[in-house]
Amino acid sequence: MIEKPRTGMDYHSLNAMLNLYDTEGNIQFDKDREAAREYFLQHVNQNTVFFHSLKERLDYLVEKNYYEPEVLAQYDFAFIQQLHDRAYGKKFRFPTFLGAFKYYTSYTLKTFDGQRYLERYEDRVVMVSLALAAGDEALATSLVDEIIAGRFQPATPTFLNAGKAQRGEFVSCFLLRIEDNMESIGRSINSALQLSKRGGGVALSLSNIRESGAPIKHIENQSSGIIPVMKLLEDSFTYANQLGARQGAGAVYLSAHHPDIMKFMDTKRENADEKIRIKTLSLGIVVPDITFDLARKNEEMYLFSPYDVERVYGVPFGDISITEKYYEMVDDSRIRKTKISARSFFQTVAELQFESGYPYIVFEDTVNRANPVKGRINMSNLCSEILQVNTPSVFNEDLTYEETGKDISCNLGSMNIALAMDGGDLSKTVEIAVRGLTAVSTQSSIDSVPSIKYGNDRAHAIGLGQMNLHGYLGRERIHYGSEEGIDFTNIYFYTVLFHAIAASNRIAKEQGTAFEGFEDSKYASGEFFDKYTEQEWVPATSRVEQLFADAGITIPTQEDWRELKAEVQAYGIFNQNLQAVPPTGSISYINNSTSSIHPIASKIEIRKEGKLGRVYYPAPFMDNDNLEYFKDAYEIGPEKVIDTYAAATQHVDQGLSLTLFFPDTATTRDINKAQIYAWRKGIKTIYYIRIRQLALEGTEVDGCVSCML
Amino acid sequence: MTEKLTLVSHVDAINWNRIQDEKDVEVWNRLTSNFWLPEKVPISGDIQSWNTLTPQEQTLTMRVFTGLTLLDTIQGTVGAVSLIPDALTPHEEAVYTNIAFMESVHAKSYSSIFSTLCSTKEIDEAFRWSTENQNLQRKAQIVLDYYHGDDPLKRKVASTLLESFLFYSGFYLPMHWSSRAKLTNTADMIRLIIRDEAVHGYYIGYKYQKGLEKETPERREELKEYTFNLLYDLYENEVQYTHDLYDGLGMAEDVKKFLHYNANKALMNLGYEALFPSTVTDVSPAILSALSPNADENHDFFSGSGSSYVIGKHEETTDDDWDF
Repeated sequence: MIEKPRTGMDYHSLNAMLNLYDTEGNIQFDKDREAAREYFLQHVNQNTVFFHSLKERLDYLVEKNYYEPEVLAQYDFAFIQQLHDRAYGKKFRFPTFLGAFKYYTSYTLKTFDGQRYLERYEDRVVMVSLALAAGDEALATSLVDEIIAGRFQPATPTFLNAGKAQRGEFVSCFLLRIEDNMESIGRSINSALQLSKRGGGVALSLSNIRESGAPIKHIENQSSGIIPVMKLLEDSFTYANQLGARQGAGAVYLSAHHPDIMKFMDTKRENADEKIRIKTLSLGIVVPDITFDLARKNEEMYLFSPYDVERVYGVPFGDISITEKYYEMVDDSRIRKTKISARSFFQTVAELQFESGYPYIVFEDTVNRANPVKGRINMSNLCSEILQVNTPSVFNEDLTYEETGKDISCNLGSMNIALAMDGGDLSKTVEIAVRGLTAVSTQSSIDSVPSIKYGNDRAHAIGLGQMNLHGYLGRERIHYGSEEGIDFTNIYFYTVLFHAIAASNRIAKEQGTAFEGFEDSKYASGEFFDKYTEQEWVPATSRVEQLFADAGITIPTQEDWRELKAEVQAYGIFNQNLQAVPPTGSISYINNSTSSIHPIASKIEIRKEGKLGRVYYPAPFMDNDNLEYFKDAYEIGPEKVIDTYAAATQHVDQGLSLTLFFPDTATTRDINKAQIYAWRKGIKTIYYIRIRQLALEGTEVDGCVSCML
Repeated sequence: MTEKLTLVSHVDAINWNRIQDEKDVEVWNRLTSNFWLPEKVPISGDIQSWNTLTPQEQTLTMRVFTGLTLLDTIQGTVGAVSLIPDALTPHEEAVYTNIAFMESVHAKSYSSIFSTLCSTKEIDEAFRWSTENQNLQRKAQIVLDYYHGDDPLKRKVASTLLESFLFYSGFYLPMHWSSRAKLTNTADMIRLIIRDEAVHGYYIGYKYQKGLEKETPERREELKEYTFNLLYDLYENEVQYTHDLYDGLGMAEDVKKFLHYNANKALMNLGYEALFPSTVTDVSPAILSALSPNADENHDFFSGSGSSYVIGKHEETTDDDWDF
């Protein structure tokens, strides 16, 4: 982009002033708003291509191969004009510099030379809505209303790509199994390359792969285990970098009882040898209940050879419930095993989290107990919120599929809790969001990885997320993690779940079909609904009751649930999975939200990204008068975060990205205690561990907001 | 430089259970938990970004880093080591050995930036420039001379000015790039270095002030005058050096403000009042904010490793923790 030399303050400097107190010790929110304004005056407006009319614009964009003509051909021009006017009529403005900067740097349509902008925010919203609605005018109108008002925000790949002729996929998050054979490993590396090229983040399960020293063709001590596979994957992700936009990203998951588990974690050590050090791959571990039980008794935990286990049980290691089979496997002489102290295992996990933030943790048994769908969940994704069943693929020697298994793609989008409450029609907002995400699923076809296409075509799984919880609570002057805060979270997620199932049920009726395997699910048996029909869910505090009453949002009753149960048992639901709460990075900046349902990481957040550099972001709804309700995650502490997540988790079929925040005075024991607490409270996964180190007294930068407690 | 460094003549086994100065432990703990190696940071993520810099900008960046390499080499091999014989406590000696080691780590970091981003020929040219640039060489010579002098407190002054002042004409550039979304992984690494240097400057300055307490008023006056004289000397040279480097890109004025800001910080570390009025220390907010040595940056797997992780304290869980 052409940057003109300027005489006054440039927008980067104005934005940076957010992080510096003024002379009275106030946060300079106005400087950030000024930065957003200057950004438009100095940069955006000067670099936006001008068209005389919408007609001229659309004709040009189609002719020059910027827009997909198929998307527009589904509608009359008069309707598109009307929708366009409707969107512009809402007078959308970016409230923060980062929101505007992020949108124009990463989302909007640009000329092929990257120099000039071809879309404003309203144009993007209209195009996304037209694409997702696939010719349904009413749905397109509703999508524009929900998105432009900020109540629903499609995930980055959808919002970025929809309607563009030169585009990537609508989904960017994938999960793949790897089986214990060379064909599967080779195919998964190809898949990693293919999906990275298309802008995807990929998580792979390594649990099934035989350990180092395991036999190959019955010859002992032949296998080199999982580390070389991790190296191959890491290099693949680095190689395929989406035209340099950003590097591919990948995660690998391993069972805690895999013999290579300690080697796996050591790859993230600060002083690890270069040959085994893993820099950019994210790590996750899958921990069953039995591991906690062994640690409680301060016993050793056995690690089992996946090679032997597969031979004894006839199923891959990752598909075995270790908790269930643990003592049986311990006693089985055919299964080779080693042992380590369970408590020192947990301590190592905590050490690594201190040094690197990794590994993520999946509490395997909690996840599977809460899973309403037949099958087993043995891994998660790059953000640890996707929890779906998968099945193995079988390959021929030439890497074609002898039998296509089910792998997973994540069709994500998030609601802004504050704006959804303000909107007053939660049922409608949820329904439009579910329909939008269902469109993402039905319009996606990942042909390069047949197992993902196969899984998606049959499951239509979506992940409706939520964000801006802390922003909402702060605005309403409720402390994050307080009784009222947790009560609100519980009732909000309870209500969303009801409407999400109802919406998916309506889609199933319209389509005349449910997801494959519905008849074997706990939805079909009705078991899923027991906790809602047999127990009454109402606000525990008058404040929360009032919030819902003021918003005009009714809370579903037991009777409502009984009716819904009958409808679902009769017609099914269209989507195998419905909710998953992602960490929401970029889209929460555009949408002016706090991330996910986390507390804010800092009053003024420092965001660092390749495309943006270092930019500063104020917590939404925060001003100099309500600062006390915007305590950051380190002040709030892990327990309140876990309590809040636990309230939400009970109404979410998949997972919720949960980051825990500690000061650097914490020890590995504090982290272990938080993990134990999270597991006991029914948390399904833990995402990053974040450590904040405060500047040594005397070395801090004077007057800096994010440097203070 | 043929004279021998005086070594400590008598050594007792260091007892970390008898602490004379709590600051030693505090700083030791901070430095060890801040330990890092250049391999931590995925500099290769900056290759694309590096290629978007103009040749002139690339040359400037390499020259800046060779200058920093030289200073870190001095500080690692001579500076921090020369402070050891004057240490007041055995723990202070231990802290200096840590500082010396980390300075060598820093010096090596620049090489890993070079080897990732540039060709051997370009690297050699940049190093040649650094040996030929008079102002850079003079800067090195001034500091080296004081390290070889016989006044322990003056050595600390020189060292503090180096850690808290001289580095910053170089640190400016990566902070500038990072505020413009360029070389952000490199900036992460530099921020790790800044995090270390901030503690080093602070600690050596603190020890200087401790030493000053034992001196006569006349001698204190002398040292203060000496400090300001040295600062003027270095400042004058630093201004020249800044013009050599940054004039081509028109950034020299803002870099100078940054120098003033850091000169004041160095003086503060030594316990003196600020020299430059706030009218000439109004560094661009983008740079100042980028400096924050705190670790509360929000990043994820797309944004590189960040500069926030530390080595944790191990503590075993007890039966109570597992009581569920």
